Amino acid sequence: MKRFLITLFLLLTFHVSAETILLKAGLVHSGNGEVGKIQDILISDNVIVGVGNNLIIDGNTRVIEVNGLPVTPGLISPMSNLGIVEINALDVTKDDESDLLSAGFSIFNAFNPHSTLIPWNRSNGVTSAISTPSGSSFPVFGLGSHFILDGSLDIKGSKDIAMFGRLGASYGSRAESLAILESLLEIGRMLNSLAVEEILEMSLSDQLELQSQDIIALGKVVNDGMPFVLETNRAVDILQALAMKKKFDLNLVLVSVEEAPMVLDKLKESNTPVIIDPMDNIPNSFDELGSSLSLGKILDQAGIPIMFSTQRSHNYHLMRQGSGNAVAHGMTYETAIKGMTKTVAETFQLDNRGSIEAGKLADVIVWDGDPLEPASFPKIVMIEGKLQDLTSRSSKLTERYTNKEDKPSSYKH
Amino acid sequence: MKNKVLLSILLFTFISCSESFDIDVSFGESQSINPGIDDAFASTYKPMNSEPILFKSANIYDGLGGELKDYDLLLSDGKIIEIGKSLTAAEALIIDATNKWLTPGIIDIHSHMGVYSAPGVSTSSDGNEATSPVTAEVWAEHSLWTQDPQFALALKGGVTAFHVLPGSANLFGGRGATFKNISQNTIQAMKFPGAPHSLKMACGENPKRVYGSRGQSPATRMGNMAGYRSTWIDAVEYTDGMNAENSDSRPTRDLAMDTLMGVLNGEILIQNHCYRAEEMALMIEMSREFNYKITAFHHAVEAYKIADLLADEGICAALWADWWGFKHEAYDMVQANVAIIDQARNGTGCAIVHSDDEVGIQHLNQEAAKAMAAGNRAGYEISKAHAMRWITSNPAKAAGILDQTGSIEIGKDADVVLWSGDPFSVYSRAEKVLIDGAVAFDIDNPKIQPITDFDLGIIQPQTNRVK
Repeated sequence: MKRFLITLFLLLTFHVSAETILLKAGLVHSGNGEVGKIQDILISDNVIVGVGNNLIIDGNTRVIEVNGLPVTPGLISPMSNLGIVEINALDVTKDDESDLLSAGFSIFNAFNPHSTLIPWNRSNGVTSAISTPSGSSFPVFGLGSHFILDGSLDIKGSKDIAMFGRLGASYGSRAESLAILESLLEIGRMLNSLAVEEILEMSLSDQLELQSQDIIALGKVVNDGMPFVLETNRAVDILQALAMKKKFDLNLVLVSVEEAPMVLDKLKESNTPVIIDPMDNIPNSFDELGSSLSLGKILDQAGIPIMFSTQRSHNYHLMRQGSGNAVAHGMTYETAIKGMTKTVAETFQLDNRGSIEAGKLADVIVWDGDPLEPASFPKIVMIEGKLQDLTSRSSKLTERYTNKEDKPSSYKH
Repeated sequence: MKNKVLLSILLFTFISCSESFDIDVSFGESQSINPGIDDAFASTYKPMNSEPILFKSANIYDGLGGELKDYDLLLSDGKIIEIGKSLTAAEALIIDATNKWLTPGIIDIHSHMGVYSAPGVSTSSDGNEATSPVTAEVWAEHSLWTQDPQFALALKGGVTAFHVLPGSANLFGGRGATFKNISQNTIQAMKFPGAPHSLKMACGENPKRVYGSRGQSPATRMGNMAGYRSTWIDAVEYTDGMNAENSDSRPTRDLAMDTLMGVLNGEILIQNHCYRAEEMALMIEMSREFNYKITAFHHAVEAYKIADLLADEGICAALWADWWGFKHEAYDMVQANVAIIDQARNGTGCAIVHSDDEVGIQHLNQEAAKAMAAGNRAGYEISKAHAMRWITSNPAKAAGILDQTGSIEIGKDADVVLWSGDPFSVYSRAEKVLIDGAVAFDIDNPKIQPITDFDLGIIQPQTNRVK
């Protein structure tokens, strides 16, 4: 009963509309790559209005003592299935694949803000995420969108912000995959001089089974600088991707890049951000023989912008554990924090979030310990200035099954 | 990255079951009545050469719940000889362990290393004999690829022993076996001496999906139950027959039945892949029907719902800290699962943190840290010394090797890890990993870092894969 009352209290207090809040004396890791320091954060309405030590507040400001606990920006997952996959093994709960579309497949309208994964990841510190379609054998599989994880049916996010694809071992030859990729990018370029309908009538479009949505999306990648996010691992494939970036002037982001240390100079010179899973040191395929736990350190020392993916679906917050392991193997702490926040915002042009500085939207987490330690957990999760309830289906199950009352569990609620 | 590949492996390997069989067939006439304890394919493991080692001023988690600050530990002849203050040993190599931590070697009760080797190509997919729902005749160890590069990666994470199971496609998947984490070029040379076999069984979605999709039984959960029970009926009859006084009236040797008989005789331990609470309770009921013992439920995402029952039955639960959602039966995850099992019936529960994963096995200390923190947030007071049991003595108990390893106690195998700092911190590294008193991994000495045949010169002939 006590637990129930506490929950009720939290619900009542946390779902009030945004107010002016001072997070007092937290160890603020801004996300900008700076070393953390003790500061106050003033939040008014949905925006951070001040970060410092002697901020002026009025009598209506709610002061929350942080007492030196670590504070970071809300984490941003750069590659998730949040809101579009509920249970991987149940196709009827998945909206991540298309039979009809490829490059232009948008998952935006499939997003389910009531997915149980959202409260779970939110209570673990992930405040927004890019959700992506899942791969098929075709080298390009569609468009990802950015979503704010407040669970609201009034879905907030940015539609179709990047295209996702993969280059590497598959059932056909990678030479063919490269040829297809190049053809797709050529088609995107044609939009400079031809109409969609004209391109659609070409035999190449027919061979590649393209729809008008695919062609329009390819045009955005080639002509408008939409990020093109390509997963690849083998050293020579990374070089092929970089050559393609040069040829088409792509806004390229590379994923996984387990053999990047072998082509480090070229990667650095190309100024290409990467998304890595620092814990994946397994040579899962013959493309990944160079995988190691040193990847994060080597990329960091080369100054390459780094973001983090996770191997395990459903727990996107585990990028904290991944980046913690990267730090254990030589990445700087500040790069790790930045990689879960500001680097994602910069790479995907989410201009108004990703760091703790005046003017940014107030996505802020107060942690009960070092955020890179897997055992740490958020104490406060704030999205756009609103304190979030940390209840999840999982926390409710925990409550039910630690309740020792002598009655059927279905009556413990 | 390879989420899809990973998922398909998960879905498949999470089906387990096992079975085994036994003996040297060429000596059929002198066949054993108790094939579970015969010595076919017995361990030929020999510890590496070692010198006496004295760790000075270490902090120690003993793996049984104890914590010692600033103690010395003496290892000699492959065993733990002495634990105390101001120890001296004239012949011993002295290692200063000030501000560092010693723990027992980490043990994973659920691994598929060697049977799902890296690279994860079709030709190395040797963990599921998914040709019949009852394949108690296969032994996981007979699939083991001794050059799997994953062994060495797990060693760097402090893993000194691991139990390899068949996958979970079948109701009875085959026998599992325990290994010392020293890569050798025969399977027997890696086998943990004297460790019992296990039999992998699997509940739930996997068997019914694999066989139901082929239009055969089991296609439902009730079909799963019927499949187990009819097999146990056969096994009881076979066992009774094998116990006949007159050797002429004994049944013909049957590999699958030999394994099941080993379970009924208490020589082979049941490791049971099972997610849902009510299914675990059914499996317990069935073990009463046929009079055998379940050693551990594996994955057991819903174990917390029947924590008291498991504690009462003396059954361990081998769990992840936080995996969920890849299947419907893995939907009700709570991070406090491990802690709730541990604390059941006044702390008499047997909780294990397992990996079932080639990355997870390298970080079982971090997985235990998450499980401990979640338990403490749920209101328990679990110390680090206590949580260390989840990845050392408890898995040793479930593998049937606790009398040899799994704790820092005088007389035990000298399987120990020296950590650079708090073993539950993400920043700590295993600096030295010792197996039977020999340094098997040394973070500062490339010569004492194993490199499998697979790793040699595979990217460029002059260098090795793992640096």
